[in-house]
Formats: sequence, C-alpha cells, structure tokens
Amino acid sequence: MEFGARSDPGRVRGNNEDSFRLAPEMGLFVLSDGMGGLEAGEVASRLAVETVVEHCQQAEADPALAVFGKQIEGVSEASNRIASAVRLANSEIYENARNRGGNAAMGATIVVARCLADRVCIAHVGDSRAYLLRAGQLDQLTEDHSFVADQVRRGMITPEEASRSRMHNVLTRALGIDPQVEVDVTEELLMDDDIYLVCSDGLFRELSGAQITGVLEETDDPQRAASRLVDLANQAGGGDNITVIVLRNSPKSGRPFAKIGRWFKGSGEDQESETQS
Amino acid sequence: MSKLVLKFESAVLKEIAVGQKEVSIGRSPDNGIVIDNPAVSNYHARVFTEEGRLMLQDFGSLNGTFVNGQRVKMIMLKPGDSVAIGKHTIVVTDSVEVRAKALDNGEMKAAVPKINETVMLDTKDRRDFLEKIAAVGESAQPAPGRMKIPTLVVRNGNTDRAEYALNDKLTVVGKSAMATVKLQGWFKPKAAAQINRKDDNSYYIGAADKTPSVNGEKITHPTKLASGDLIEVAGVELEFVVRD
Repeated sequence: MEFGARSDPGRVRGNNEDSFRLAPEMGLFVLSDGMGGLEAGEVASRLAVETVVEHCQQAEADPALAVFGKQIEGVSEASNRIASAVRLANSEIYENARNRGGNAAMGATIVVARCLADRVCIAHVGDSRAYLLRAGQLDQLTEDHSFVADQVRRGMITPEEASRSRMHNVLTRALGIDPQVEVDVTEELLMDDDIYLVCSDGLFRELSGAQITGVLEETDDPQRAASRLVDLANQAGGGDNITVIVLRNSPKSGRPFAKIGRWFKGSGEDQESETQS
Repeated sequence: MSKLVLKFESAVLKEIAVGQKEVSIGRSPDNGIVIDNPAVSNYHARVFTEEGRLMLQDFGSLNGTFVNGQRVKMIMLKPGDSVAIGKHTIVVTDSVEVRAKALDNGEMKAAVPKINETVMLDTKDRRDFLEKIAAVGESAQPAPGRMKIPTLVVRNGNTDRAEYALNDKLTVVGKSAMATVKLQGWFKPKAAAQINRKDDNSYYIGAADKTPSVNGEKITHPTKLASGDLIEVAGVELEFVVRD
C-alpha cells in the first residue's frame, strides 16, 4: 500500500485541531478532528490517534490483548481490534476532559483504516469520512454521525439541503462526550488500483466529489494527491482545518506470476528486449 | 385551536393544526404526521377532538406512546404536554409562535454554533427515551437475533463447503485466505466476487477479479440480491436463499 498524507489549518482558523498518524508497518492509518475551546480540540484529536495506534501496537505484540467493549459480529478480528482501539480512545478523551474539570467540553471524530491482505477495515465515529475510488467511481464508505445526515436518512431533507444547512456541524456522535461510544465498522474488498481517501470535513465541505475524483485520478503519487487536495480546499476557502490521507493499492509488480505473464506477453516487444539485453 | 409540533431533539420538523379532523400518527405515509423510524408503528396513534377536548389514543403500538414520560393508551391532552413516539416528540400547544419561542429560549441557538465550530448535539433526551423503551422490553432497532441470515447454497462447482451462512459484512468468493466461499482449483482468482451486507440487512453482490452474473445476466454495478437469485462466477453457481 502506497500512502501520502497532509494536514493544514486552512485559511480561517488559527490552530489545527486535526491529527493523523500513519503506521504502515501495521497497515494502520488514523485521522481525527478535535473540538472544544482553548487547546482542548487539539488535545482530543491527538489523544484519539495516539491511543488507537498504541492499542493496535500492543495487540500486535500480544494478540491475546483484551478487546475493549463488545465484540461486533460479522466482521474480522482486525475490525474488532480497531473498534476496541476507538472505544479506548473515547474513554481516554472522556477521562481527560473530566480531569480538566468544569464544563470543558472536549471531543473528537475518528476514522481508522486498517489494510489487510484482501480487505480494508474501517471504523469511525463522527463526521470525518473514508472514501473509495474504484474504476472512476468515488464511494463514501462512512455515514456521518451528524444531525443533518440523520435528517437525510429520515428523508426529511435532501442531501443538497443538508450541505447548505446551518446545522451541518452538529454531531450526534463523537469521542469523549459519553463514557461509552458506539463505533461503526465496515469492511471493503481490497483490489488492485483501489484508492482509499480518509479526510476531515474541511476537505469535503470545500470540494465536490467530482473535484476529489479528478485530483485522485490525476496522479499515481499518493503524497502529491494529498497535497493537491489540501491546496484546492484552501483555494476554495479553507474554512476549516483540512487533513487527508491517501492510500493506493498499486498492483504488485513483484508477484512471480505477474512477471512471467509480462515476460510471455512482452516477448518480441521493445520494452522486454531492452530488459533482456 | 391546538397545534401539534413535531420535533426531533431540539429541531422543529412540522406543525399541524388539529381541528374537527383527527390527525393520525405513524410510519405509513398516509398518516397526518408521518414519522419514518423503525421504532414507530405504521398506524401508531391518533389525536382527535371529542366534546371539545383534545384526546390522544395509542393504537396498541409496539413501542408505545408516552405523554410526559408515562406510557398511555388513551388520554386527554392539554397545552404543554409532550408526546414521545420513537425518537420524536410532539408538543401540544395552542400558540402559533412555537418556532419563534424556541428560538428565543435559545433552544435552537444553543444547537447552532456562532461560527464554523463543530459542536455535539445533546443526546440526553434521546438516551432517556431509549432507556424508557428498553424498560418496556422493546427495542427501537431490530434485534440481530430476529434478523434472517441468508444462505449461499452451492449448486455447482468446487468449493470447500456445500453452503455458507452470510453472517459477515463482507463475504469474499475466491481463493484468498480470508475468503468465506473458498474456491478450489488451480486457476481460480483470489477474489472472484464480493457480497456486502448493508446496515439495513440488504445484500449486494459486486465484481472483484471477475464479474458475476445474477440470473444469467452479467452485473454492471453492485446488485441487490433477492431470495432465489442464482449467482454464477469463476465456474461456480451459488443460490442466494433467505429461509423462513
């Protein structure tokens, strides 16, 4: 899996409350968007991503490590592990907020993507998103836990009305608000040339699906794609912090059968004769 | 004249006047107040006027109707009463300026942040209600145990088993180590096709290394499966069966 990532405060906010961590050795990619006054948002999102990575590292070292919270049926062990990590992050932020005392509200969204040999597991809470670009089609894999997304699901407003709604930034679920949190988990098959995009709302509030698709298709380099997405979101206004992680499942040219196949197909062509000479 | 104000959390969704005509409440679209939520029965309750009094009657709904926190069958309503159905609330009022008043009280203001700041919706009301529902022994969501789990029955081809229960969110048909429907044979693809279970318990088949056919036709996009559908992919035939 090739990857690239970038985070930027945007053009309106003075601080960046988004955090991300990349742990490619575990196929683990984590993004969080914090909220809360003073520095609480920054603390919350950092705590979220660090707790998730740490819990997964511990589980790598000790596969018998207890799963935090209820086992989710119908998904892989890896999915249950990242859900466990997200629940743990929730408690960490919740405890931290309590220790700060007062009404210091502090919360965070989270998206965790874990890449396995044949699938990608995604856990999320809040309105940060994961998308999959496959064969030119961009699919949103996560459902926002927000007031307007709820209204759209109930058929009370259209997606267009939702994007214009003044309530768009009201979340119905986030880390750190309650002692316990419900985590959504989904799994997608991993295919050659799949591009996964994980991002905070600062990206998709500024750019349309078509714009995002355009950038992702423009380049093979995930780091360049990540930077370009952030630049475009800034050009479009940069109203919020923008963070993107781009993952690309490039076909493994090192596979023996692929090589033999190419060799057979390529015999007699210029490219192959070059390598043979 | 009385008004019924349908709210979801702090947001006002609809206001309906009740005069001589009764107002029915339920999930079915032909109700006067439609609440599209699995916790609400098709014809859940009605509000009507009898001898000048405003009455509420629950039609024996599964999850109940609550007035000011009490589960009710039939009750007289008065201004200020709060009727809870599913996750929604209907407030009884005889004033017209509910929406404006809610704004003045800061009810809406509290939820709408000043700038682009993300805020958390207070879910206390919703939690309280869910607890209440749990207390009467009903669940707002279909319990997993009650959902039917479909089966893939192998009609033709070499696989490791004769049939597979589709428990998983992602079911892979192929040779991959994580595949549920394991294909046997030299030239079988790692992942021939995939079946995704959606949150509403519907199942979609999609292409992977191969493009499957459903009932003899190659699919062009992820296709929803119905009981009896015959899937052909990578030399195997699988029937999607939902048993009673």
